[in-house]
Amino acid sequence: MTHRSVEVPVIARVEGEGALHLSVSDHEIVDLRLEIYEPPRFFEAFLAGRHFSEVPDIVPRICGICPVAYQMSAIHGLELLFGVEVPGGTRELRRLLYCGEWIESHVLHVFLLAAPDFLGFDNAIEMAKVAPDLVKTALEMKRVGNDLMAAIGGREIHPVSPRVGGFSKAPRRRDLEAFLPRLEWALGEMPGIADFVAGLSSPSLPRPTEMVSLVHPDEYPMNEGSLGSTTGRSFDASTFEEVTREVHVEHSNALHSEMIDKGTPYFVGPLARVNLNADRLTPVARDCMDRTGLSLPQADPFFSMAARVVETAVAIEESIRLIRGYEPPEPPMAEVKPRAGRAMWVTEAPRGILYHRYDVDDDGRILEAKIVPPTSQNLRHMEEDLRLFVPDVLDSSDEDLTRMCEMVVRNYDPCISCATHFLRLDIKRT
Amino acid sequence: MTRVRVIGCGNLDAGDDAAGLLAVREARPRLEEIRGVEVVESGAALNVVHLLDDLSAAVVVDAVRTPGGGRDPGEIVRAEAGPEGLPAELRTSLSSHGLGLAEAIGIAAALERAPRVVFLGVEALDATAGHPLSPAVAAAVPELVEQVVREATLLAGPSAPVA
Repeated sequence: MTHRSVEVPVIARVEGEGALHLSVSDHEIVDLRLEIYEPPRFFEAFLAGRHFSEVPDIVPRICGICPVAYQMSAIHGLELLFGVEVPGGTRELRRLLYCGEWIESHVLHVFLLAAPDFLGFDNAIEMAKVAPDLVKTALEMKRVGNDLMAAIGGREIHPVSPRVGGFSKAPRRRDLEAFLPRLEWALGEMPGIADFVAGLSSPSLPRPTEMVSLVHPDEYPMNEGSLGSTTGRSFDASTFEEVTREVHVEHSNALHSEMIDKGTPYFVGPLARVNLNADRLTPVARDCMDRTGLSLPQADPFFSMAARVVETAVAIEESIRLIRGYEPPEPPMAEVKPRAGRAMWVTEAPRGILYHRYDVDDDGRILEAKIVPPTSQNLRHMEEDLRLFVPDVLDSSDEDLTRMCEMVVRNYDPCISCATHFLRLDIKRT
Repeated sequence: MTRVRVIGCGNLDAGDDAAGLLAVREARPRLEEIRGVEVVESGAALNVVHLLDDLSAAVVVDAVRTPGGGRDPGEIVRAEAGPEGLPAELRTSLSSHGLGLAEAIGIAAALERAPRVVFLGVEALDATAGHPLSPAVAAAVPELVEQVVREATLLAGPSAPVA
């Protein structure tokens, strides 16, 4: 019996570290396990005993790519529990902040993480040499998102101004208006970007699935909404833990999310949002969707990249609209009186729904925190993708197999996709 | 005008990944005494691409983990980025956000917009969320601070007062 084991050097990332264990015998998968270590477990423990006012400073540290998502799920949940009425304009400013994060995160993924895969480059550095203009455009667009986050959040990484009750400081109108020419430029780039993505050759993995996202009657959802699914499920954030659960998987340190009633996995992220909120797409986003060839309903996870392009357009168009109508909240923050109870909220991080729950005492101290990030919700779905995908490419070299498996996982834009080569492939062929 | 930017990268909540940020934070008062030197604490490594625009030189400080070992925890490594970015052995730096720092410098180099980049790294042992600096890395931070100040002083040129 021949036995081969391959180790791909691991790259540690604080957002997580990925490892894929694959055992193959006679062209059959004997064992396939995807492991991703998620950081919120540490933060959940770290939050216990803290005052609620510290939460907006602690949770954005969980992720350098989506700090706003962590702040927003926490702040909205605590405000609902405390019965806070935020000043007029706060809602719009928060949505604008979230738009900045979507732009920055989606552009990073589409151009610098995913495109090199589809174009056959080892990484974005190689792509930058061959297609410098494309990479320059991507970096400039990403920077618009980053700068918008910095202008509203007070700082580029880990925004400091969002508070329970509003903002510690609201940006001036003219500082936001200065973004309009850059946003108009970015919007003008979008049809070309959609055409570029349409031209990429991508694998196909159509499969039955249940996709879950926020749905909102009036707008493409980011901060607010109820939860819906492509199988017709409808529920509220307050029942999130009655509908879904995280289960410990024997082989892994990670938790797998599933629907409690059926024990089935579900799929969150941009493709879920587009499927469930197509009616709320903005005009250029709709045009981008047509250009990418994304037709609905669409359950092939490899259309996620097209969905990210569509949502980048949404975020740019929304940013322009919100800035044009912007009036600084005055005062920027409402008074907050804590009360005991349970705070629960879901917002749409760029990579999918992010659930927070806080049990709080009368003084506003956090007794227990629970955070369910999108990457862990998608984990089992990713593993199933790999089970479907790997048999067709098993005869590839270990190197090619690793690259293709990375592509399947990276397609979900998991936190670990941050690493250019993130996956440690343990393959045993017998 | 900013001629030299000192950029600290890393994550304060992730064990040794905090080392680069901590060193730059500690060096900041001395660095700000040097004319033409600006200090930036940048968590997200990919933002380093933007931070390299319109400069004569940059000092980038981060924790690294050398693949396959070869360096002891706490060992300080100095490298200059060339046309290919950082030397290959440093391309798996420990940067915890977005693309790695090495990729960021590599992209800037590929786009021909990187200034002279001096990289100072400290070999990490443990970057687990919630862990403190490991003793060997903590012991190396004062020397890293000295090296950061020295590099910035040299890069800022002879007119800059020695901090």
